[in-house]
Amino acid sequence: MKKIIYVLAVVLLVVSSCKEKKTTNKKLNQVQNEVKEHNHGDHEHGSKSEVKMTDIKQNKTRNIATTPILNTYFQIKNALVESNKTEAAKEAKLLLTAFNKLDTAKLNESKRKEYKEIVENAMEQAEHIIKSPIEHQREHFEVLSEDITDLITLLGTEKTIYLDFCPMANNNKGAYWLSEIKEIKNPYFGEKMPTCGSIKKQIN
Amino acid sequence: MITKNKLKKGVLILFAAFLLMQFIPKKYNESGQIEKTDIFKIYKAPQTVQNKIKTSCYDCHSNHTKYPWYNKIQPIALFLENHINEGKEELNFSEFGNYSKRKKKSKLKSIRSQIEKNEMPLKTYTFIHKEAILSKNDKTEILQWMDRILKDL
Repeated sequence: MKKIIYVLAVVLLVVSSCKEKKTTNKKLNQVQNEVKEHNHGDHEHGSKSEVKMTDIKQNKTRNIATTPILNTYFQIKNALVESNKTEAAKEAKLLLTAFNKLDTAKLNESKRKEYKEIVENAMEQAEHIIKSPIEHQREHFEVLSEDITDLITLLGTEKTIYLDFCPMANNNKGAYWLSEIKEIKNPYFGEKMPTCGSIKKQIN
Repeated sequence: MITKNKLKKGVLILFAAFLLMQFIPKKYNESGQIEKTDIFKIYKAPQTVQNKIKTSCYDCHSNHTKYPWYNKIQPIALFLENHINEGKEELNFSEFGNYSKRKKKSKLKSIRSQIEKNEMPLKTYTFIHKEAILSKNDKTEILQWMDRILKDL
């Protein structure tokens, strides 16, 4: 009987603590919603400055700050070329770290806003690459490639890189990717079609 | 050795725990009104597309869940709550308008591909919610609608 009373006491405790947590959660949600509503206006504004893949403007800044991000991105790309899911996931984890380390103190306000949107989206793609099967990894890599390209357009790079395009990827809608080498090595199909694609642009 | 007495006690404790669990408060994912940021407030869509997406996706991907009767029972309600929170974090149609243009685009791409490949709605969900199954026609209509939005984005 004593035991039963103990158990009841514990369960009651759990129940009451749950209740407390719920109310704080609710408050937090409210605050978050308010913040979101507040930000709503500038979001739309910032997106207007977005650059399309096809009309990439060259950013002449020889920025070394973006190098770790690019290098990790290329590792993901190379892992996908070899259809190595585990390696791609490992590198995607490193990409998250690289993003977190990037110093944005020098960016002006409008740039920082676009930067924030790019990084937020890119990190979400990286998180999916970490936990997904390879077909999904490739889909998210396509979006990630767009984000990284826009990041380079925004911030510049010291590296010589190539923007490659394969018209058959993405269900024949075509997809871009960035490469550190001139030779075409397609990350979207693995062994099935390793050389589909062409260089659309050389940066630096 | 498990004696009959001990067994009886065990069952009693479990039952008491189950009863007490019913006092765990339920948090309902029902915001009441349709948000200004709802995807259908931002993008025009045929009524059929709206209805289909609301039936098949909104339980886990919006602030408007239509709860089944077994949500009255704990710990099922807790399980559903977690599940819905996860779904909303990944994609929330009620807050689609808050997403940056970049995020809207990548979300639409993901939705598109998951519907096309029958990965969404989840099989475990459609097993119970037969009305959520998307027919070939439903899918074509939804995908065409999404392509139109993606083209303008």
